[in-house]
Amino acid sequence: MSRFDMFGIPADKRQNAKDRVMATCHPRRGDMAFWPKKKNRDRPQVCNPEASPYAVFDRVGLEIGGKTILEDLTLSLDEARIGVVGLNGSGKSSFVRMLNGLRAPTGGTLTLYGAPAAEAELELPRHVGFVFQNPDHQAIFPTVEEEIAFGLTQLGASKDDSRSRARSFLALHGVEALAGKPVTELSEGQKQLVCILAVLVMEPKLLVLDEPMTSLDTLVTRRIRDKILSLPQKIVMVSHDLEHFDGFDRLIWLEDGRLRMDGEPDAVRAAYRQDIDLRLGRNPEFAGL
Amino acid sequence: MISLYLQGDSWAHRLRAGWKLLAVALASLVLFQVVSVWAYLASLAAVILCYASLGREGLAQLKLLRSLSFVLVLLLALHWLSGTLNDGVVIVLRLVVMILAANFVSITTRLDDMLEAVQPLFRPLGVLGVSPRKPALGVALVLRFAPHMLLVYGLLREAWQARTGSRNSWRLLAPFAIQSLRMSDNVAEALKARGGSEGLSR
Repeated sequence: MSRFDMFGIPADKRQNAKDRVMATCHPRRGDMAFWPKKKNRDRPQVCNPEASPYAVFDRVGLEIGGKTILEDLTLSLDEARIGVVGLNGSGKSSFVRMLNGLRAPTGGTLTLYGAPAAEAELELPRHVGFVFQNPDHQAIFPTVEEEIAFGLTQLGASKDDSRSRARSFLALHGVEALAGKPVTELSEGQKQLVCILAVLVMEPKLLVLDEPMTSLDTLVTRRIRDKILSLPQKIVMVSHDLEHFDGFDRLIWLEDGRLRMDGEPDAVRAAYRQDIDLRLGRNPEFAGL
Repeated sequence: MISLYLQGDSWAHRLRAGWKLLAVALASLVLFQVVSVWAYLASLAAVILCYASLGREGLAQLKLLRSLSFVLVLLLALHWLSGTLNDGVVIVLRLVVMILAANFVSITTRLDDMLEAVQPLFRPLGVLGVSPRKPALGVALVLRFAPHMLLVYGLLREAWQARTGSRNSWRLLAPFAIQSLRMSDNVAEALKARGGSEGLSR
């Protein structure tokens, strides 16, 4: 044996170094040491779906590529209907994405359903449904039935079982006629409804909606909004239209990644409108954009 | 819509995807040994009868042949020129029968049934650590998003035409590529929001 091995570790230190590696990689020596552990199987559940409040932000920050997106957010979420407003680029989308584990905070502590966000990440899609702005990016299957059934197979249902359950779920919501239709041939309103149902079928505790009504006409907007308000799930919804928050319990206003105001929807809406007027008065030209 | 599936509840829809695929495979093995024109005409009649059993919509699917007619005629012409017209007829009939039979399976089998039937073929990938679920998901994504990409390209072309007056340009390729990449980012995010490609029952 040479004095140094291929890693340049002197012979007398070799055993020591190996022990150290073993200690960091495999804390329990009884495990099959060099066999990678099966991911997540038999992992204990870390989330408590009944946790109240379900989300606790403590000085949470988010930086992406050196740019600060969110800063110093401290708040907890528990109300049934929570709205989020703010100008473009205020960090609304990133904020709500944290609830589903789509963004991980880079500062502070975020506790979701009683568990640290990083540990909860893999379980979150079970408890938190997410509806995106553009249904064309969310519906990932060729037909409506497959789209709905996907959520059930994700939760472990067999193919046949998930398909029949998808069909009865569509019937329950009065749209069984859509079952066999190709997603590309639906109207915008139908598409968004299918996206919402595809998430609801997984029976989440919380439904997060990121500007779900942006591409819908006035009539369909009202229908979708009524649908959302009738759900038993807790709701967090982002919207630019302040009217959409009628009947909400709480409104959160973000500005430049920080919490600007948080409280009764009527009070926050009034202050938000006033702020918009102020900005227009101060900077009536397009330079203020 | 490029998924060929024809919605319905006929006898052919109720047959298991695996049996249908196996039947087509066996038929092709047998038919490649046969050289009698009459045998082919009989099997052509049988296949057309299958389409007819689906009703008017089923027969309408035969228009598939129209897009193939050019190739078939060319094939026939080549054989005629080389003095082997008889062989040509047999080859063309063989192609037509096989294509119609395969298409019949496509239009009577749902995409996910088809994928499940061929999923065992992907099983060897498991050794490499690739779940057989992933190729299936990939095929579904292609079928879903190919028409959407055409739409995106159409919108880009409109925006181009509105400002330049010309209809098409190679310069649309770069923005199209960027839009496609951005779209795939969004789709990946939406997939992750529902538990990712591996599912939640891990």
